[in-house]
Amino acid sequence: MKYIVLVLLAALLHGFAVAQQVRGTVYEKGEPEPTPLPGVNVYWSGTQQGTITDENGSFKIPFNKQSGVLVFSFVGYVNDSVAVGRAGQKIEHVFDQNLTLEEVEVVQRAKTAYVSRMSTINAITITSGELMRAACCNLSESFETSASVDVSYSDAVTGAKQIELLGLAGIYTQMLGENIPNLRGLATSYGLMYIPGSWMESIQVSKGTSSVLNGYESISGQINVEFKKPSHSERLFLNLYQNQMGRSEGNFNIMQNIRPKLSTMLLGHVSNQQVKHDGNHDGFIDEPLYTQYNLFNRWDYNSRNFEFQFGIKALLENRSGGQKSFNRDLPRDTSNGYGIGLDTRRYETFLKTGFIFNKPATSLGIQQQFTHHDLNSFFGLNSYVAGQTSYYANLLFQSYIGDTRHSYTTGLSFMFDRYNENLNDSIFNRTEQVPGAFFQYTFSDGEYLNLILGLRADNHNEFGMFFTPRLHARYNFNEHTIMRLSAGKGYRSANVLAENTSLLASARKVVFVDSPRMEEAWNYGINLSRHIDINNRELTLSVDVYRTDFINQVIVDRDSDINTILVYNLNGRSRSNSFQIEANYEVLKGLSMTAAFRVNDVKMTLADEFQTKPLVNKYKGLISLSYVTPLRKWQFDVTSQFNGQSRLPETSSLPEIHRMPAYSPAYTILNAQVTKYFRKWNMYLGAENLTNFKQKHPIIAPEKPFGTHFDSSMVWGPIYGIKAYIGLRYTID
Amino acid sequence: MKSKILVVVLVLLHAASHAGILTDEKTAKTAKITIKTSAVCQQCKDRIEKNMAFEKGVRSVVLDLKTKELTVEYRTAKTNPEKLKTAVTKIGYDADEMEADPKAYEKLPTCCKKDAPPH
Repeated sequence: MKYIVLVLLAALLHGFAVAQQVRGTVYEKGEPEPTPLPGVNVYWSGTQQGTITDENGSFKIPFNKQSGVLVFSFVGYVNDSVAVGRAGQKIEHVFDQNLTLEEVEVVQRAKTAYVSRMSTINAITITSGELMRAACCNLSESFETSASVDVSYSDAVTGAKQIELLGLAGIYTQMLGENIPNLRGLATSYGLMYIPGSWMESIQVSKGTSSVLNGYESISGQINVEFKKPSHSERLFLNLYQNQMGRSEGNFNIMQNIRPKLSTMLLGHVSNQQVKHDGNHDGFIDEPLYTQYNLFNRWDYNSRNFEFQFGIKALLENRSGGQKSFNRDLPRDTSNGYGIGLDTRRYETFLKTGFIFNKPATSLGIQQQFTHHDLNSFFGLNSYVAGQTSYYANLLFQSYIGDTRHSYTTGLSFMFDRYNENLNDSIFNRTEQVPGAFFQYTFSDGEYLNLILGLRADNHNEFGMFFTPRLHARYNFNEHTIMRLSAGKGYRSANVLAENTSLLASARKVVFVDSPRMEEAWNYGINLSRHIDINNRELTLSVDVYRTDFINQVIVDRDSDINTILVYNLNGRSRSNSFQIEANYEVLKGLSMTAAFRVNDVKMTLADEFQTKPLVNKYKGLISLSYVTPLRKWQFDVTSQFNGQSRLPETSSLPEIHRMPAYSPAYTILNAQVTKYFRKWNMYLGAENLTNFKQKHPIIAPEKPFGTHFDSSMVWGPIYGIKAYIGLRYTID
Repeated sequence: MKSKILVVVLVLLHAASHAGILTDEKTAKTAKITIKTSAVCQQCKDRIEKNMAFEKGVRSVVLDLKTKELTVEYRTAKTNPEKLKTAVTKIGYDADEMEADPKAYEKLPTCCKKDAPPH
């Protein structure tokens, strides 16, 4: 009896399920007739509910009345969407327009920050909507509402900022600009400030080692920035910003269609800070004075079988700081006071070309980039003058084996870097040349399993040949529960001086104990995410666990000796464990909430002892609320971050007055913003650090900057308190 | 310190609820109208909804892409169906029997053009 009921129930449920389904087939345009396309992502627009077409190009998906619009997305094609009126409707969709240059497809705006359910790699996309929730100003300030990425000051005088992912320094995160490695070498310390916020269309943050296609460098993760593109951006955009500390910014972008297939865009940025401010009365200005001019011109051409993107960027920045009394026009000596100056010139140009073949899902792409960077800087009596010239080329061929369930990408790459560094009287010149080859296989069974297996071999002119294996897997237990796994190796060659310029702003001497070797690490991660329907709104829960094990690391040791900074290859162990849990939910109509909690446990052998890495918060909590009124005329955003204790570098051998406690205290940051929308423009008003929490003495021995104890690199918290700002944006679509 | 945070949050929440309520408070006479449009894709939907929100007297606006029907709730004292339809044509879309304003239509993204393949 029980059995019969069960069978009946099952039958009923089955019938119900069928009735509520939408079925269809996706084709690719072909001669003489369209061919079915397997492996296409099909999902309801505005939701994370989706499926993948099977080997016959067919799919079925439960009808979603709220959305009513199905989106088709496939590598090599522009996303397409179709309106679906009722369940049971049969959809026949033919893909037409190709797209090859972008490997990371930006999914339509559903939430302002989300993890795509389809993505095999654990990648969070931060959209322009999310970026506007915190108005300021450049890439370094774009992660305020993100639980995964931390941004902190490197020192108390230069304004340099660094990111941290999985508890590891930003150098272990590979930075990409539209899938081309960028901000390497000399741009490491200040590069986050070279990308204006309003230029960005979206940011993808992936944790763990990422795809082998972009090189061997990502160890803790990858951050890819997509800039605004002529094909889908405003014809005119203007942005003005002013804060109470005297920082002013202006941004614009204009787009022009030259011919139906050719369009261009010009993006510009000017920012300026000319008010000296010393809130903590240590004689040093809290934020350096600076002026930045930044210009970017890009060209896009798209035709049926060929496309290219070309861009050219130029950046000019002058930065000065230090003691309030310091005068840059006078000779730099101890009587003039302690000053810092950083003058940067940076030029970039890139060319991406793509050829689409008549065979389905087959294309060839070439990415090239040339960069030149000049830095002329001084920190007190230290001077550091450096230049870097880089060239990058990556050729990618994409096709499939048998049918599109088994696809692959293979290619060759070449990386060239020439560094000329002068630190005081020492000259460090270096040339790196790394040719490489890679192969990546992607399997998708169309329903449950996605697998990416990649291997690359690179030959470094100094460090020899090395191999980079990487694996990513995604498994759908059901529509609501997804598991992702990743494991892989990453390498990088350290640029110790360029990456640690902040350490020059101290009385300490940098001492190389041995010559730095290639850094090498394994990274493993697992992510579980579950989508739960509550009141017709989706609660997303996500849990991450990541571990990084270094085989070699270039250690910058500030613990062993108070008078020096020792640089040596890892002699012992170094590892990082990171655990994060995050929940996203639309609590009320228009009110969405993100809550996250993270634990980082980072330890390494420092001063012959396996101990916690200094200046890494053990705990972090984040709560972010966003409310939009029904007609989208007002938006209110509040974000609060809780930062746990962090171990401070050893200072016990300093005179008692200069000593720092063993641990920094825990503190909370609160940011809020109100935006008012008008038809063509919007205005925002906000404030950062509303709790007004400050690190009281960010500089050690500020009264004697040329003495033996001076050190400005012991920064663990905000240097200044409440900072209010106002701005406006003007758009013509 | 904690109380400070609380105050700020409360003030903001209050402001938020206020802004939401403001529109609801003036519950004068409202009416609903459904307009058949020539919207094609999500971009069209966003465009129409965003722009209609700023028309005088509009209290809510939803475009159903499946039926291409735009439902507008409005205050009868402030506007009328004729004005609302004209507003739709000025965004570049047909509104029932009224044709899209040619200049505005010209400026639509390619995906929103009437001859764009159904997708």
